[in-house]
Amino acid sequence: MLKKLLLGSVMALGFAGSASAETVSILMEGVPDTEYVKALVPEFTKETGIEVNLEVVNYAEMHTKLVPQLVAPKGSYSAIVVDFYWVGEFAKAGWMQPLDDRIKADNFDTSAYIPALMDLVGKVDGTTYMLPFYNYAMGLTYRTDLLADAKNQADFKAKYNMDLRVPQTWDEYLKQVEFFTKDGFYGVVNQGLRPDPIAMEWSNYLFANGGEYHDANWKPTLNTEAGVKAIEQYTTNINKYGPVGSASFGFDEAFNVMAQGKAYSYITYNFFRTSYDDPSKSAVVGKVEIMPVPGATPDKGGSLNGAWGWAIPKSSPNPDAAWTFLKWVESKEIAKKRALAGGSPTRTDVFDDPDVLAKYPYYPALKKLLLTSHNFAVFTYTPQLVEVLGRELSLAVAGEKSPQDALAAIEVEFTELAKKDGKLQ
Amino acid sequence: MMVRMGQASNAADRRDRRFGYALAAPSLTVLFLIILFPVLSALFTSLHEYTLIAPNFDTFTGLANFKAALGDAEFRHSAWLTLRFVIGVVLLEFVIGFGVALMLNKVERFKPVYYAILLCPLLMNPVIVGLIWRMFLHPNLGIVNYLLGTIGISPVNWLGDTKIAIWTVILVDIWHQVSFMIVLLLAGLSSLPKEPYEAARVDGANAFQCFVHITLPMMRTVIIVTLLIRFIFAVKTYDLIYIMTRGGPGVATDLVSYFIYRTAFVSLNIGEASAMSILLLTAILALTAYLYRYMRSLN
Repeated sequence: MLKKLLLGSVMALGFAGSASAETVSILMEGVPDTEYVKALVPEFTKETGIEVNLEVVNYAEMHTKLVPQLVAPKGSYSAIVVDFYWVGEFAKAGWMQPLDDRIKADNFDTSAYIPALMDLVGKVDGTTYMLPFYNYAMGLTYRTDLLADAKNQADFKAKYNMDLRVPQTWDEYLKQVEFFTKDGFYGVVNQGLRPDPIAMEWSNYLFANGGEYHDANWKPTLNTEAGVKAIEQYTTNINKYGPVGSASFGFDEAFNVMAQGKAYSYITYNFFRTSYDDPSKSAVVGKVEIMPVPGATPDKGGSLNGAWGWAIPKSSPNPDAAWTFLKWVESKEIAKKRALAGGSPTRTDVFDDPDVLAKYPYYPALKKLLLTSHNFAVFTYTPQLVEVLGRELSLAVAGEKSPQDALAAIEVEFTELAKKDGKLQ
Repeated sequence: MMVRMGQASNAADRRDRRFGYALAAPSLTVLFLIILFPVLSALFTSLHEYTLIAPNFDTFTGLANFKAALGDAEFRHSAWLTLRFVIGVVLLEFVIGFGVALMLNKVERFKPVYYAILLCPLLMNPVIVGLIWRMFLHPNLGIVNYLLGTIGISPVNWLGDTKIAIWTVILVDIWHQVSFMIVLLLAGLSSLPKEPYEAARVDGANAFQCFVHITLPMMRTVIIVTLLIRFIFAVKTYDLIYIMTRGGPGVATDLVSYFIYRTAFVSLNIGEASAMSILLLTAILALTAYLYRYMRSLN
């Protein structure tokens, strides 16, 4: 009798344990896309009974908070979001679980994702570790009202013997930058702060000139005509066609110059597009549009790709519940809801959705931007490469190093890092 | 009788002392754990190849990390820059701080009001100071250049010019920390005895002579302690750089603390970062020991 009673109570306890809701904990960055996820989470809890705890922190804190949890045998995060910066490092250290078996078992369709994003924050050397969460590829934001102005059009035609229109090539854009710089108004505003703002922005200049970071064998290809031209153009834009101080601007300061109507163009992260139409942040509501950074020819783009991916860490206390959440949050239905709220999509079917297009007419431009975008050099030492780029580019902009010397110095350190990582033989 | 009394009091003394140690033991243990343990652990780490990608002590490298640090031209640059920054900041803050302290020492009315105003910057978090000044100094939208513009001075590129940026950081640091100097020096000044000054006045000394021959010598200990504390804090300057310049433009404001931070948390090379920290600690300890002995020799 006593035995039965004990057994019964133990079983009751056991059931109580499993009946009390499971919780999926995720560390996330405080950005708009996180807010859109947060708003939808109650639906998930209602459907599955799984609670979701989103710990939202500043970007600067994320890496230092994540690493100890990832190194531990049992960490506190069920799922994580991974910046493309960290992908190489996380994969090398073996901190993420492969998702291929789960994807296969549940018939989750990863072909819906834009291929460049799947390469960036999805697969590493053939294994799927992440699902692309949102993109922050960079685009050219420019003033449509200035392009449409009749006097500007006549002046531009007289000066350059070509029409003033949405720029089709990189050279055409640079002419417009020169043209619009006059009377305290600037052709362009740049984000020249070390390390990531300058490194990320300059990458667009490199790609626009037809350059890339490395060849198929990871041999650096920076000290080339394209690289030198990119530095020269970047330096000229900052020192001659941009506001005083853009050599030290972060993206918020540069955005403010553009949003206060003091510049014609700004190459920046695409999630800023919605902010231009927010009267509390912008004096140029309805006057700014986004497009892919133009390339050497009209069919090529020069945009830098960037994105976050969802992953399940090896140290996850409840990987199955985490996968249930990932599957849900990345389903077409929820991805569409996030996009409608203002999120930056990663799936082609969301980009092509009629409801989304009706609300955001500029999404075809964003899709083209992603399809023609270029990836940064992603490997174990990406953060170090960004540091090196930041330092050398900043020295070149300050006139303390020639473009050739700066690029040579970057190549030396890049080669060392690529060798250390085993990418370059 | 005398001898026996002496012995008894000695025994009592010893008991007292032992009891004192026993009382102090818990706090000494805590101090040991939170100060000495991290230092020793850093020393241990600095002798190994320890990175966050492979966090283990499998490879003993001896002094290789120290060699790598000292052989790194960037590290030497940031150390040299830090030295100049520290000297600049401490000297300027001392001169301004002493001047203000001397003036305030004479003030009779509203002293608490002045204190409250002076302490405001000191109570602010350095990150907030950095952010506020970044906004003030924004070349196009900031208030500083706007005010300069109203008197016909063209916009200054506060943080984007390699020659100006370090001075901008020094100025902001002075704004933030000078009240620390003022408060400490003022405390020293107000505790000085009045008699020597009265005697000097009777002998016909003027204010300058009083300052050089009475105030300075009597204030020497306070001055050294103030300089020392400020010096140690200045070497550790990190938050202002992180918020305001990230070491740029170029490498114009790349102070050593920020450099070590990057080695540890961007390069993930904890071993080399520990070696750099140990080098920095050694330099600070040497200077502290020297100043401390100098101070003792005065007394």
